[in-house]
Amino acid sequence: MLEHLGKELALRFTVGGVEVAFNPVVVSLALGVSLALMGLLLWVRRGLPSDPDAPLSRRAAAVAWAVEFFRDQILGGLSPTLAERLFPLVVALFLYVLACNWAGVLPLPYAVSPTQDLNVTLGLALMVYVLTHFYGIRAKGVLRHLKGYLEPFPFLLPLNIVGDFGRTLSHGFRLFGNVLGGALLTAVVAGKFAPLVVPAGLNVWFGLFMGLIQALVFTLLAVAYIRASAE
Amino acid sequence: MDPQALVEAAKYLAAGICMGIGAIGPGVGEGIIGAHALDAMARQPEMANTLLRTMVIADAIAETTGIYSLVVAIVLIFVV
Repeated sequence: MLEHLGKELALRFTVGGVEVAFNPVVVSLALGVSLALMGLLLWVRRGLPSDPDAPLSRRAAAVAWAVEFFRDQILGGLSPTLAERLFPLVVALFLYVLACNWAGVLPLPYAVSPTQDLNVTLGLALMVYVLTHFYGIRAKGVLRHLKGYLEPFPFLLPLNIVGDFGRTLSHGFRLFGNVLGGALLTAVVAGKFAPLVVPAGLNVWFGLFMGLIQALVFTLLAVAYIRASAE
Repeated sequence: MDPQALVEAAKYLAAGICMGIGAIGPGVGEGIIGAHALDAMARQPEMANTLLRTMVIADAIAETTGIYSLVVAIVLIFVV
């Protein structure tokens, strides 16, 4: 059953006594998704009129709607300078996670969601973790940022440190578990019970709808973490 | 009795119990979150967008333990 998930293709080798496994399907899909996104966005950008006073084309209206969505729905409530800084990161994160989630729905052989591999989701979560410290230090300076670990009471320092790692871990595991759970359920139903119609519905629900919700949640949580550290 | 068969049986049983009990908490939690968000939206419809965003974050956090039990169940079935 797991061949649906491309797991048997993982390459295993040892580096310095530590066994490393990585899955070329997932790696190439993760890179392919980002290349496809870049192509799509360049195509969208090429169609935009260079003159800001030109009558609104369809593509420009879609871009304007998307920008407004990100600004109001995802970055709403942040201070304007921080929102301005986070805007490209948030758009990239949301679109990348969304495209990764949706890649699993494609009716191609070996098309799995890269986000159902823990390496991808934990990598994204670790990136967000590093960025929380980056923006925290940038906004408050090293000392005041580190002092945040002593809030509200100094004896809560261990709890704050554990909470920091647990937050990042659950950030990655949440996306991973949701996407893998949906993919497994679809694979089990398609393989054992109802091969034809039901998997299509499950794909729409778990692939498209839950993929959208999870991309939104992942981005919102990243913004919430960075905001908690930077403000 | 064959010990391997016992392990086989135990892991399916454990995965079922893990997912079944693990789903109670997130279910109750998300229900409470959704109910209170609906209350607040009915009281102040103009706040609906902000409330929806906060509700989705809270749902995601409440769901985390359910996801943990899902991961444990998947590991039990496919890895152990």
